[in-house]
Amino acid sequence: MNRHSSIRKRVAPMKTKKELLLEIEDLRTRLGEAEETLRAIRRSENLTEPNRAEEALRESEERFRKIFEGGPLGMAIVGLDYRFVKVNAMLCQMLGYTEQELTKLNVPDIVFPGDIDAGLKFYKQLLGGEIPTFQIEKRNIKKDKEKIWINLTVSLIRDQRGAPLSFLAMIEDITKRKHWERALQQRSSELEAANKELEAFSYSVSHDLRAPLRGIDGFSLALLEDYADRLDEKGRDYLSRVRGNAQKMSELIEAMLNLSRLTRWELKRETVDLSKLAKAIASELQKRQPERQMEFIIAEGATVDGDAEMLRVVLENVLSNAWKFTAKHPTARIEFGVTQKDGKIVYFVRDDGAGFDMAYVDKLFGAFQRLHRITEFPGIGIGLATIQRIIHRHGGFTWAEGEVEKGATFYFSL
Amino acid sequence: MEERVILLVEDNPDDIELIRLAFKRNRISDEVVVASDGVEAQDYLFETGANSKLRTLPTVIFLDLKLPKVDGLEVLRRIRADKRTELLPVVILTSSIEEQDLINSYKLGANSYVRKPVDFNKFVEAVRELGIYWLLLNEPPPLGKMGK
Repeated sequence: MNRHSSIRKRVAPMKTKKELLLEIEDLRTRLGEAEETLRAIRRSENLTEPNRAEEALRESEERFRKIFEGGPLGMAIVGLDYRFVKVNAMLCQMLGYTEQELTKLNVPDIVFPGDIDAGLKFYKQLLGGEIPTFQIEKRNIKKDKEKIWINLTVSLIRDQRGAPLSFLAMIEDITKRKHWERALQQRSSELEAANKELEAFSYSVSHDLRAPLRGIDGFSLALLEDYADRLDEKGRDYLSRVRGNAQKMSELIEAMLNLSRLTRWELKRETVDLSKLAKAIASELQKRQPERQMEFIIAEGATVDGDAEMLRVVLENVLSNAWKFTAKHPTARIEFGVTQKDGKIVYFVRDDGAGFDMAYVDKLFGAFQRLHRITEFPGIGIGLATIQRIIHRHGGFTWAEGEVEKGATFYFSL
Repeated sequence: MEERVILLVEDNPDDIELIRLAFKRNRISDEVVVASDGVEAQDYLFETGANSKLRTLPTVIFLDLKLPKVDGLEVLRRIRADKRTELLPVVILTSSIEEQDLINSYKLGANSYVRKPVDFNKFVEAVRELGIYWLLLNEPPPLGKMGK
């Protein structure tokens, strides 16, 4: 029986009509309650809204207070009568006053007299609604009378109806920046003056130093030619030496002048095919001395970004050097190539000529420095100094390697 | 034959002597009038009246740029600004080859610009060529018709 009844419970019992009606009534009541709860929730939301706004305002005020009190800028609320209403710790520290002292002062009290009018003009424009905010750099006076430079930003605070309430001022101490600006400005004008002086110097070198040399050379020659009968062999030899020296000095002056011009030249960057340039210079060298047995090996496709005219001077100097210092060998080889050093592209010119002792490598790039006797190889020692100056102006480096009678290699990067 | 004069505006006595020597070597016998600064050059060219040394306008003026008092460029400017001398051949003879000097000289109407070589042989050669060109080859402007 029990078992039977338990089985019956498993299937849904047939409900009577009365039972169903009761159930519907019950559902209606619950629906009504739910709707009422929903309405209550909606009502309660409406009720709590003003509270939330207050909360938001409190949060915003808290944020402002934090920025005002703990921020890295000096801040002040300034009354429309320019009185400090509220100041933060940073501003007090900047000006050397306590909060109590500062809030007894007006803005003009702490401004450098010469800068007061300029500031007031902006405050008035702000008040008149002509400008939404302003920013100026001016000088303030600290409590201890020390002058500081500040960057001041001011905006106007209005009440709910839009009537001006007070000014909000943000003050940054820029004394250090001003100091550096002034120092920089001074350095720039000093540099400009130095450049002008250098230009005047070059002009003077080109004009004034040559005139006396012309005199020395001219009158020596006049003596040699017009008074030859009154001079013996030695006398004539000495006068020839005087002339030789005058001409040598003239060459040196010319070279110095060219070197200083290189520094003043404006650098014009374009794509330059160094391989093509090297080939042209090589064939020019060969044409000048066709009797020399020279093998040129020139790498293809070395294109760079630089000043075409200056880079031509570089290659001319390096290749002419290689040409010159291989002159004592019956056959020789000059190579122009590309390699890498520390991940940077490096160009080189290598020869198998006279070379040099690495002990003197530091002297190599100095102006008028020579590692060989003038009687061995001619020249005034300006070529590598010129190269170095050009490469430096391109932001690159030059260096050299060599061994006596084994040859030399000149490297440059751009 | 009409008397010909070369005006040399040069302040350096050594250069003056060297130019005289170079003229002599090249057998240029024209009279050389020397003005040793810009003011003297102007006095020579523009001063009229009893004291005026100017009998005839120079065939050519050799003008140095760096001069005491009034410099060469200013002398050139005044020569070109005056009706009497505006057509006169002016050769700049100087030590400078500064780009700015070249530009200014040609802008102001220089007829030629020669840099004095240091080597005296080259200097003599330069003067020889200048002499041949400006005293023989070049047809001077019709000075007689120049406005007064």
